[in-house]
Amino acid sequence: MTTAAVPRSRRRTSWLISYRRRIQLWGVGFVLPTLLFLAVFKYGPMLWAIELSFHTYDMVSTPRYSGLANYRALMDDPVFRETLLNTIVYITGSTVLTTLVGLGLALAINTGIPGARHCMTLMFLTNLMPIIAVCLVWRFLLHPFGLVNQMLAPLGVGRVDWLTSSWASMPAIIVVTVWRFAPYFMVVFLAALLALPRDYYEAAELEGAGPLQRFWNITLPLLAPTMFFVVVVSALLSARIFLMPYIITGGGPGNATRVLSMLIYETGFSYMKMGQAAAISVILFSIMFVFTVLQMRLFSRHEQVFG
Amino acid sequence: MQNAAQQPSGLSTAPLSEGEGRARPRSRRAPLLGRRTRAVLGLIALSILTFHFILPILWMTSASFQASDKMFKLTTEWIPSVWHPENFPNALSRAAFPTYFFNSGVVSIAVMASNVVFCTLAGYGLAKFRFPGDKLVLLAILSTLMLPLEVTLVPTFLVIHKFGWMNTYQGVAGPLLIDAFGIFLMRQSILSIPTDYIEAARIDGAGELRILGQIIVPQCIPALAVLAVLSFRDSWDQFLWPLTVISKDSMRTFPLGLVQFGEDYGNPPTEQMAIAVLATLPVFILFIVLQRWVNRGFGLSGLK
Repeated sequence: MTTAAVPRSRRRTSWLISYRRRIQLWGVGFVLPTLLFLAVFKYGPMLWAIELSFHTYDMVSTPRYSGLANYRALMDDPVFRETLLNTIVYITGSTVLTTLVGLGLALAINTGIPGARHCMTLMFLTNLMPIIAVCLVWRFLLHPFGLVNQMLAPLGVGRVDWLTSSWASMPAIIVVTVWRFAPYFMVVFLAALLALPRDYYEAAELEGAGPLQRFWNITLPLLAPTMFFVVVVSALLSARIFLMPYIITGGGPGNATRVLSMLIYETGFSYMKMGQAAAISVILFSIMFVFTVLQMRLFSRHEQVFG
Repeated sequence: MQNAAQQPSGLSTAPLSEGEGRARPRSRRAPLLGRRTRAVLGLIALSILTFHFILPILWMTSASFQASDKMFKLTTEWIPSVWHPENFPNALSRAAFPTYFFNSGVVSIAVMASNVVFCTLAGYGLAKFRFPGDKLVLLAILSTLMLPLEVTLVPTFLVIHKFGWMNTYQGVAGPLLIDAFGIFLMRQSILSIPTDYIEAARIDGAGELRILGQIIVPQCIPALAVLAVLSFRDSWDQFLWPLTVISKDSMRTFPLGLVQFGEDYGNPPTEQMAIAVLATLPVFILFIVLQRWVNRGFGLSGLK
């Protein structure tokens, strides 16, 4: 990439740097603001969190080194252990259901029924509703006298205390989460479905394959990259959830729906134990990291999703 | 038309061209019911599904016009027998909601604008430029998807505190200004622009910024519209972060105000729903307005 390789006519204004190099610099320049921003607001804070997790800090006095004390305290704390379990259960449940429901809705829309597009738009609109509104509405809907129980009554289901029962509160939160996120992934899946080449299907029909066989052997494998995207993103979205358990059940009866993000906030800002809150943050990050790596392993054949 | 629908990230809210690219098989065996019957039945089923899905929104709107004592008695009184539009001004006056909405608006517009600009720049840089370490940079940027505010809450709070940005617009908007997801979105969109256009323009002597403005941007208008809506909505939704950095009532964003109002007044359902309806409107309106842009963006193609 020397200037000798570039004809004289190409060297316009910057005769100090070669044509190629100049373009490279533009590329770097376009990315630079983002990198600076991320250094200040993402990488820096994360590294600081790791450092903080080994200290005791309450914002008033100076941080005091305390080694693994925070982590040990967390492991001994039954509230933390329950919260950790809740978070993992919640992430798994929401991710699986959101993916399935999103895919199901997309398939339903993709049947070529006239007016399906409008149904899709309507359902997508629910995804734009402010989360606080979603939480408040569902808190009323899930009330013992609320709409959900009223609609379940004719089906013979008794009155369920969605918000206050220890077994039903987490599923209720998961349902709200799925309701909130599935339409977005419906659109993602739909775009992928629309882009599938029809040749495979026509060939399969000629071979006599039924609709279920076509779905299983053609659609699903072709959707794998999209599936990977959906699973990863919905897992990341559910890992960070805060408002839904906070508003709808306030952490659930006892700690049944308390999730890690709530614990981080409470530990850091109600109890002013910033070091310990940082430790919980590190643990939450580790969970997200592990989930993501696991999914990459699961979908490792389809790396070109980031291509 | 097909270009936008084929984006792997698939975030276009593009109009479905109903005949094209659909994976619906045409069965060779004689179907049980005629095609028309199936279409009608299908539409009915789909409508029922959609109706139940959007039920919460309908309930919210209906409840916002009800009288308070009706809230838990109503079973099927969807259209209120007595309309109570005064719920809206009443609710607005209970707390400084106009101020809250204004604050949210300022922050969200800033976040939307910043994301549109910087995610496009970064997406373009990552999609169409090769420089040493570009793969590493891409990986680094995407890995910040695992570093949301909920995880970096405490240190980011300390950073903002050190900047002296507590209770300021910049403090609330700061960490939201560039989102890795937006970069991913724009990169996917720009990847599909043929590099030949860009090379041709360079040969013709166009400067990089001109290429960006006249070639890249017009070709990814659908993605830009999606990015604008989603980044506005994400900022509009924010609760935990503003809760952390705002303690002055005059700087509150509306989610904080709404929750505080609920706690202060024992959660009056109808008025909370009224505020919720008002809060939903800006995002819906933005979406509807930008949907037209998405459609118009499809009209642009060609080699110039």
